[in-house]
Amino acid sequence: MREFINLTLGGVITGAVYAAFALALVLIWRSTRIVNFAQGAMAAITTFIALSLIESGQSYWVGLAVALLAGLVLGAVVERLVIRPVEGGPELNAVIVTLGLFIAIQALISVLFGVNQRAFVAPFSTIGFRVGDSSLALSPNTLFTLGAVLLVMVGLTALFRYTRVGLAMRASAFGQEVARLLGVRVGRMLTLGWALAAVVGSLAGMLIAAEVTFVTPTYMDALIVFGFVAAVLGGLDSPVGAVVGGLLLGLLLSYVRGYVGDELVGLAALAVLVVVLLVRPGGLFSTTQTRRA
Amino acid sequence: MTRSSRRLVGLVAAATVASTLAACGGGDSGGGGGGSEENEASDVGITEDTIRIGAHYPLTGVAAPGYSEIPTGVQAYFDYVNANGGVNGRQIEWIYRDDAYNPTNTSQVVNQLVLEDEVFAIMGGLGTPTHNAVTDFLNSEGVPDLFVASGSRLWDDVEEKPTTFGWQPDYEIEGKIIGQYVAENFPDAKVGLFLQGDDFGEDGAAGAKQYLEDQIVAEETYVPGNTDVRPQISALQAAGADLVLGFNVPSYTALSQLTALQLGYDPQWFYSNVGSDPALVGSLLARFSEGAVSDASLLDGVLTTEYIPTVDTPDNPWIQLYQRVWEESGQEGELTNYRAYGMSQAYTMVQALQAAGQNPTRDDLVAAVEQAGADWEGPGFAPFRYSEDRHAGYSGMLVSRIAGQGSEELTPVLVTDNGDAEIEEYDGEAATPPESGIPDEEPVN
Repeated sequence: MREFINLTLGGVITGAVYAAFALALVLIWRSTRIVNFAQGAMAAITTFIALSLIESGQSYWVGLAVALLAGLVLGAVVERLVIRPVEGGPELNAVIVTLGLFIAIQALISVLFGVNQRAFVAPFSTIGFRVGDSSLALSPNTLFTLGAVLLVMVGLTALFRYTRVGLAMRASAFGQEVARLLGVRVGRMLTLGWALAAVVGSLAGMLIAAEVTFVTPTYMDALIVFGFVAAVLGGLDSPVGAVVGGLLLGLLLSYVRGYVGDELVGLAALAVLVVVLLVRPGGLFSTTQTRRA
Repeated sequence: MTRSSRRLVGLVAAATVASTLAACGGGDSGGGGGGSEENEASDVGITEDTIRIGAHYPLTGVAAPGYSEIPTGVQAYFDYVNANGGVNGRQIEWIYRDDAYNPTNTSQVVNQLVLEDEVFAIMGGLGTPTHNAVTDFLNSEGVPDLFVASGSRLWDDVEEKPTTFGWQPDYEIEGKIIGQYVAENFPDAKVGLFLQGDDFGEDGAAGAKQYLEDQIVAEETYVPGNTDVRPQISALQAAGADLVLGFNVPSYTALSQLTALQLGYDPQWFYSNVGSDPALVGSLLARFSEGAVSDASLLDGVLTTEYIPTVDTPDNPWIQLYQRVWEESGQEGELTNYRAYGMSQAYTMVQALQAAGQNPTRDDLVAAVEQAGADWEGPGFAPFRYSEDRHAGYSGMLVSRIAGQGSEELTPVLVTDNGDAEIEEYDGEAATPPESGIPDEEPVN
């Protein structure tokens, strides 16, 4: 029973981590209709900037603030300089550009910060809470991770649903020309979408780093795959879907690891992806058929 | 023979010399011979005054921490030998390339080493999946493939891989020695296995099970790259294992320790040699010691095995030699266990080159290891198992307990072999390095 409880709690935690990553993907998808394969590398570089600050004696919170700020700038710069020239062209062009960006940024991290594994100390204790004489796989730091992910989810939902900016962003992504005719400054909205997504991505990078404990320039690679599966599972359009998708995937993979075997984790994720795409291509939380303007 | 002008620097210049030589036709002189002969270019990668050795290592990526230090140790020792006249008057050229622990890259860089750099032999290629990708190529090209840096049993296959040789004790005999130790000293322990999901974990577990079949209560594997080991550690905890044997790499030693701490799980840990380097694991865990983890090393009291001297024994004559060699080489950083490992391999390599004779061919080098290797005295605690029928490396090791940054020996050196072979105490003396620090082996022919 204790194993089941710990596998469940562990699944929720890794699920929250997948969800954090999926949220950034959803944000960019909603605001620009591009799937950003460079998301992981962008998050990794901001995390390394923060880690360097933390290692030089700054507090975690200073590191976090700098990481988020760096993400904001990085997202905006990438959109203006790299993505803008291919926006509006065939979708595949933008996807290939983000793949190239992924490789380039990862190489840049190696150049700037070296390739060695580095320890990332979580902001709160990672020692599990004790119940009776046994420990749960639930610690103050995992509560922090969960809380941060839920906060972002609520924030994004509110942004898109209740604010004019959110509406304008959705309009820009949905139909650029229509939006422009209605007075939306589409270019700005696209830049804003990328910048915000990179901020969420940076937060995800920080949360994930604390969970995986040791980071290298490629530490996000394994999570990119699961983040994508989580996003597709929940529906690329829905922040709530991303979080639910992440949690479901985290639970499933944790049970697979604990009861079946670590070697089947990748296969299980693939199975989820195939089933979702066959049965409900829009994801669990899609409300409408795919729309095109 | 004229040397082509040296354009560019370093490797490129060296490669040019080698290709000029190859064009001149490195004739097969029949190898070997007494000290009075002239040096000649007896095979690919050998000139009158140089001999070129190559290798592949993970210099970047997840496997790089620790392992990327090995070639610097090799470099230091070869530099030392070169400064003292080289081997048979030849300077050793040491070329190593980065494969990032990715077998696809390994194939590519080894192709480069053999076809472009034209090395005489490969020495100390690191990793099981990586090196396994190139043994067919090396054997079909007839390139000596000495002292693979992995404890897999794949390298001991004279029929299929006549030029490939292992070096360190294989994981199966390590598993046997660990298994017997646990069975004798912890007869009531419930044993859990924490295994890397490849032949490292499988061979180790197979060896341990010969002695522990009845005591094992759980067997958990991880796939390298999956950084979440909570499910595995939870399962070991749930099964009630109070002694965990880990056949894992160092970063998973660190991860399993932290995860166990988070789960309040405190069994006796026993990590195989590969995963237990206290300095590397300690450096990974160091930042955690400021907060949750107490100041004492997390690895204190952990059991492990040793088969060559380690840097925490500064009085060991081999370590004193290595310390001197390392300081003379002037490279950055300290002497680490990984660098000592590289130097130990380089020492064996020099023995092999000496035994191969003054003007060796590649075949002579292979024959020299087969004929003389079992008698070589060197840093290893136990003898090699080399013969014309066997290409297996060291035959034994001892069990020790980590204490702080050092360790204490718990058993004498134990030697055994694969399969049902008995485990016995080694009755030989520990070798000390020669005064000069350089071996002096007779040519076998």
